Amino acid sequence: MSTSLIILIVIVIALVLMYNSLVAKKNQVDNIFASVDTQLKKRYDLIPNLVSAVQEYMKHEKGLLTEVTELRAQAGKPNLSDADKIKLDSKMSSALSGIMISVEAYPDLKANENVMHLQHSLSEVEEQIAAARRAYNQAVTDYNNALEMIPTNFMANAMNYQPREVFEIVESERKNVNVKELFNT
Amino acid sequence: MKSISELTDFYYKDLYPELQKLEKQREKLRSRVISIAVPAGLLGLIVAYMFRDAIALEPMNLLFIFIPLTAGGAFLYSYLIKDYVEEFKFKIIRPLIKAIDDRLEYSSQNHVRQTLFERSSIFTSRIDRMSGNDYVQGMIDDTKLEFSDIHAEKRTKDSKGNDHWHTVFQGIFIVGEFNKNFYGRTVILPDSAQSTFGDLFGNWLQSKNMQRDELVKMDSPDFEKEFVVYSDNQVEARYILSHTLMQKLLTFKKKSEHPISVSFVQNHIHIAVAYNKDLFEPSVFHSLLKYKIAMEYVKTLHLAIGIVEELKLNQKLWSKR
Repeated sequence: MSTSLIILIVIVIALVLMYNSLVAKKNQVDNIFASVDTQLKKRYDLIPNLVSAVQEYMKHEKGLLTEVTELRAQAGKPNLSDADKIKLDSKMSSALSGIMISVEAYPDLKANENVMHLQHSLSEVEEQIAAARRAYNQAVTDYNNALEMIPTNFMANAMNYQPREVFEIVESERKNVNVKELFNT
Repeated sequence: MKSISELTDFYYKDLYPELQKLEKQREKLRSRVISIAVPAGLLGLIVAYMFRDAIALEPMNLLFIFIPLTAGGAFLYSYLIKDYVEEFKFKIIRPLIKAIDDRLEYSSQNHVRQTLFERSSIFTSRIDRMSGNDYVQGMIDDTKLEFSDIHAEKRTKDSKGNDHWHTVFQGIFIVGEFNKNFYGRTVILPDSAQSTFGDLFGNWLQSKNMQRDELVKMDSPDFEKEFVVYSDNQVEARYILSHTLMQKLLTFKKKSEHPISVSFVQNHIHIAVAYNKDLFEPSVFHSLLKYKIAMEYVKTLHLAIGIVEELKLNQKLWSKR
């Protein structure tokens, strides 16, 4: 009688622990996504300034500028899912780095203090976004692992938890700097 | 900044006249120390022989002879070498530091303040006694840097009420301004659990460390193998520890050849290199001209002052300019 009671108590405790750890992992993902979101917003706020500062000079890159503005408008829409935000972010990163590379071709623009300040603010936000992304990816990995590993996977199934997507590292970030190319420009 | 080989040249060329003078002083000192230590040792043996019956009855009585003798000996030794030590520091260590960067200030008596040591949060145990010497302080490329020898201890009492002192940390403690703004606390410690117990169980143990903040798993396998990171902010820890900085800390660790702990608190970086001995002290029983001994002074100074360049602390972000 008492042994079965002990076994029952142990099982209940194990279930509670599993449930709690899953909830904690899910909340951790949501928490960190919130800080990713804050940093992304900071970057979106810089974009109108950037566009207005560079559009006079950049006649040939109109396409890039409209793309950035459009992406910002899309990001401003309500009810975006986290996955959508992740996709927008990677598009935004590559569009912005395109603009930054184009700036290099205009000496006037490069020397403009306003543009320089914007560039520095952007690169700092960019660094903070990178940190937030890495934190998010780790939280998602922990969460997804719990969803797939025994024994928490049974519990997660019952709770109907779905695996989350991670941020993919933008190809340009992963690439090594080509020093030769830098000198050629 | 001068390289290690340039500094070694400086040591053997520019400091050579002083080294020779010190060398003579050292030899005199050595024979004096020996001429006092040998009779004192004999005296101890004679006293022990006289009280041999008491000792045979209770071997602990030996302590009554040898504890005062060692304490007296240590006191006498430090008194004897005092002038030599001061001269060595003033004529060798100070010029060596000035040769690296002449804006650096050196003081042989002071040490990094205890409040800074405690602020770093690298060590969680209470510090009851702190001593140190060889304090260096100054600006390198507009980056504030200070470091010194530190010996931090804590006290425990045994059942008889006797005090026991335990070393918490002994080695070099470095404090520098960090090139990014941050608000939280991030501590990096040598990884012992993961290497002893493996990844899964080691990680679990680390996450259960109640004295520390949240465990931060870093996305660099090499870094994870050597260090464990705790922080009160997951995002900020990664903002500070960029991939480049992690790589640089690994290089620094390799170079230092000793366990290192790092923390980031209040916009400062704190590094504790556990040499487990008092550094920058002149040797009495070995020649100062010995390459190995010279290299120790040069290398340690180069390592501590070099962190500004090594970790690129001088490359400030826009917001910190």
